[in-house]
Amino acid sequence: MKFKIEEVTVYFPYDNIYPEQYAYMIELKRTLDAKGHCLLEMPTGTGKTIALLSLITSYTLSKPQSPIKLIYCTRTVHEMEKTLAELRLLHDYMVKCIGPSAKMLALGLSSRKNLCVNNKVLAAENRDSVDAGCRKLTASWVRALAAENPDVPSCEFFEQYERAGSAAVLPPGVYTLQDLRTFGKEKGWCPYFLARHMVQFANVVVYSYQYLLDPKVAAIISKEMQKESVVVFDEAHNIDNVCIEALSVSVRRQTVDGARRNINRMRQEIDKFKATDAGRLRAEYNRLVEGLALRGDLPAADGWLANPALPDDILKEAVPGNIRKAEHFIQVLRRLVQYLEGRLETENVEKENPVSFVFSILNHAGIDQKTLKFCYDRLHSLMMTLEITDTDEFLHVQTICDFATLVGTYARGFSIIIEPFDERMPHIPDPVLQLCCHDASLAIKPVFERFQSVVITSGTLSPIDLYPRLLNFNPVVSRSFTMSLTRDCICPMVLTRGSDQLPVSTKFDMRSDLGVVRNYGRLLLEMASVVPDGIVCFFVSYSYMDGIVNSWNENGILKEIMQHKLVFIETQDVVETTLALDNYRKACDCGRGAIFFSVARGKVAEGIDFDRHYGRLVIMFGVPFQYTLSKILLARLEYLRETFQIKEGDFLTFDALRQAAQCVGRVIRSKADYGMMIFADKRYSRHDKRSKLPGWILSHLRDAHLNLSTDMALHIAREFLRKMAQPYDKTGGTGKKTLLSQEDLDKIVLEGSMNDMLY
Amino acid sequence: EDEDEANGLEAWERAYTEDRSWESLQEDESGLLRPIDTTAIHHAQYRRRLRATARIQKGLIRYLYIVVDLSKAASERDFRPSRMAVIAKQVELFIREFFDQNPLSHVGLVTTKDGVANCLTDLGGSPESHIKALMGKLECSGDASLQNALELVHSNLNQIPSYGHREVLILYSALSTCDPGDLMETIQKCKKSKIRCSVIGLAAEMFICKHLCQETGGTYSVALDESHFKELILEHSPPPPAIAEYATANLIKMGFPQRAAEGSVAICTCHEEAKTGGGYTCPRCKVRVCELPTECRVCGLTLISSPHLARSYHHLFPIVPFAEISPSQNDPNHSFPNTCFGCQQSLLSQGNKAELSVSCPKCKQQFCLDCDMYIHESLHNCPGCESFR
Repeated sequence: MKFKIEEVTVYFPYDNIYPEQYAYMIELKRTLDAKGHCLLEMPTGTGKTIALLSLITSYTLSKPQSPIKLIYCTRTVHEMEKTLAELRLLHDYMVKCIGPSAKMLALGLSSRKNLCVNNKVLAAENRDSVDAGCRKLTASWVRALAAENPDVPSCEFFEQYERAGSAAVLPPGVYTLQDLRTFGKEKGWCPYFLARHMVQFANVVVYSYQYLLDPKVAAIISKEMQKESVVVFDEAHNIDNVCIEALSVSVRRQTVDGARRNINRMRQEIDKFKATDAGRLRAEYNRLVEGLALRGDLPAADGWLANPALPDDILKEAVPGNIRKAEHFIQVLRRLVQYLEGRLETENVEKENPVSFVFSILNHAGIDQKTLKFCYDRLHSLMMTLEITDTDEFLHVQTICDFATLVGTYARGFSIIIEPFDERMPHIPDPVLQLCCHDASLAIKPVFERFQSVVITSGTLSPIDLYPRLLNFNPVVSRSFTMSLTRDCICPMVLTRGSDQLPVSTKFDMRSDLGVVRNYGRLLLEMASVVPDGIVCFFVSYSYMDGIVNSWNENGILKEIMQHKLVFIETQDVVETTLALDNYRKACDCGRGAIFFSVARGKVAEGIDFDRHYGRLVIMFGVPFQYTLSKILLARLEYLRETFQIKEGDFLTFDALRQAAQCVGRVIRSKADYGMMIFADKRYSRHDKRSKLPGWILSHLRDAHLNLSTDMALHIAREFLRKMAQPYDKTGGTGKKTLLSQEDLDKIVLEGSMNDMLY
Repeated sequence: EDEDEANGLEAWERAYTEDRSWESLQEDESGLLRPIDTTAIHHAQYRRRLRATARIQKGLIRYLYIVVDLSKAASERDFRPSRMAVIAKQVELFIREFFDQNPLSHVGLVTTKDGVANCLTDLGGSPESHIKALMGKLECSGDASLQNALELVHSNLNQIPSYGHREVLILYSALSTCDPGDLMETIQKCKKSKIRCSVIGLAAEMFICKHLCQETGGTYSVALDESHFKELILEHSPPPPAIAEYATANLIKMGFPQRAAEGSVAICTCHEEAKTGGGYTCPRCKVRVCELPTECRVCGLTLISSPHLARSYHHLFPIVPFAEISPSQNDPNHSFPNTCFGCQQSLLSQGNKAELSVSCPKCKQQFCLDCDMYIHESLHNCPGCESFR
């Protein structure tokens, strides 16, 4: 369908549109007009993605004099593919409506592991080794050797791509990763480098958060992006954590040992070069003296991870004299590693700020701040000079240099925490030195500054006023949309008491109480007997899950549960969990019924959907607070309080509730779906907790459902499931409209009365 | 505190709380308690059903297996007195209604419990024997097994002649199924043998049941309460539309036996004993049977009586739905009389306000809503049209 939002003609590939999608587009259009940033919360299953894509591409079309590029960031490869599939549908529709002038280039970009078509390289098991395998074949010096000596292996895809030169372009269209691979194979061009090259010219780019937020990657991939771009962060409820992780480094004993091995090997290489090709080392020295840009004109294939600090914070100076010579740099690294190892041997938990840490490095190891700052670039240059291709072997020394550069660059917003052992297992020494970033706004600041509009959107962004403070920006629009439903297809409940009317909670002093454990067990057992197909349970942590499942096993509850449904458990092993999920789905399909035990903040809670019969009920056992004794969290809380005036309690509750909302939101993925959500903890009935849930859940949480015991919840569940099993009318019949057709929209545009429709 | 009280209730009090009889009452303007007037709703539902029935070919000779789930879940007491008792009661009603509407059809009963399926009665035409067999076996235990039940039904239905319509109606209390193998394969097998599977759930929607019904062209519904369950099960009594591949005209050999004279004594084949009076004689092999319709035990001829055939006939030529006349249209100056043609009752309610009425599009006679329902559901003849003949 086609309709107008103000002066823009919007092309929408479906025949009907939800009112909230329409409202969402209006807000989005205002943001684009204002060239500002926005925060939009809309429940899952209401078609956020297509609304976004449809409006932004239509907006671009309507303003041919100033084309806007769309940069769409997703969390996972799966989401990337889904987005591109939607985009293709839209693209086909637009071409059908307007003709070939609507053609655009859209592609997904991912790591070599997902894009490589060279079978020899692809055989490696993880991302780093695929990257290294590629470099072994495509580094400029390897290719130079291969040109002389045909016995040296090289990658034919890359060679052909290089040979094609500027002729190697993608024709307009929408390319998923699979399409890119197929296209690459067909033409014999390397899809990875082709995609990286085409990213600058594409109208729509879909890739992962890291490509924009992690300065190491962003400097290479996203350097060329024009200012007139709209950046969309989809499913962005955890964006602050992604930002923080991008700037955090942790050093363990293995890192130190590994780095030492790396240094020794580099030392040997240097000696070898000295004996055979001293000129090369001298050339590097001269280059550094002149302060030439370290990367600048290197061929694309040699491009390696860039400086971990943000672009604005990198000094545009020549490398200091004391590390220009390769041997000297190796010495510096050695001293640094020595120092870090010494610090790791502490017996107490230590917390330090970067300034004093840098000072103590200067005192003990004699390395000044400026030298530290240049470590990463210097290492990079050295590895190039030494022609090292198996970069996956050198991850440890990279981590050390990464650490050094960050600690030398930033004085605020970071802290260094050294823990001699994991607090939960004090008997096993596992020293770790962490440089933690506390300020999410650091990593995202360049994005806000560089691009015209940034859209942050998700199903759960409540409370919506906290995100601007955490990320330190001023949105022009921040709005939360509710879902227009034809029937009450979600049924949230707060369960505060067990079947014996005693309160249940995972609060620290109550969680090991046998009564609470038994009450939780009874709740699950009773629910398993009235809810068909799949049930998903979320626990607050792995250790809590292990504990409670163990005691259920001991007192026989687990066995009783197994009579109703099969039980599957998420573990920290990805392969095992995938297998468990597969079998869980099978059990739901064939009518045996199944329960999945999972952990809030785990892999399952974030990325896996439990829609339709795969999740008719989700039980959130407890409030998923972060581990509050963690030193890193405490340091971050302190920083947030001092810098942004966010109270500790507020942040913790916000963080716990967004996790809980994320978990329970897994069950409902479309309007035709239905599901129940049980928040099993007495603390949820308190206003300060409850009010932080997203609006679309709160609006269905009736007052009568705020303080339930197991038997009452059971009764409600029975009624709800029967009601939902009845056939229903998708368009909403005579009541309020939940699906708008072309005529409805035309009427709205004429009357300009959107709000009546929505509420 | 409310819950504490609720838990401390005496058994007799609890019966009231669970019964919720006050919910079927409402207060009128003057504060009097009246039962909620549900006739309007009922009529609306009935009209909707009526509209759906176009004139299509229907399978009149049905072979239906009723699968009754007697697993542990059937002993749940959310239906009063228990799911099992409610099922038994409604199945009895259904079987009678079924034979009334489909005299040429056959029913068999299968139960599933303890993970296995048992054939309670073979396909047959006598309602009494089925009901008796079911009432004698009302015990529940263990898990239900959808696959075993379907396999059993499949093996039995595969033998019936090709003109018959194969159907299964599953009354499912459980929320899971305990199967020995891959249920999906069994579903495909049923689909291939053109067995139409329908499920009525008593608790909640199950994916596999929905899948089963979608694949085999049946209907899936979940009962809200006892009356809704009754409604749902009775929806299965009129014959379903015929499957296209089977819709070819087929000649079936049938016998119309004569009723034997009163007082004659003969050995009947159904009970294998000498009986006096009544009874019918097979026109081909002259053997004696007690009830119609049935299949002759000796020569295998289908034996029916002509009223049976006539009763099945109306499914093929249903009375067209009557058009609704809104009260405003129906003003007193109009030429139409203000009484129902069927029952001669006035169509005006108290206060001379005209009520909703309907008229037959052929003979243009007006009827009240009760007559409308009676004509379409029981009489199958329009009195107006008949009187013109």
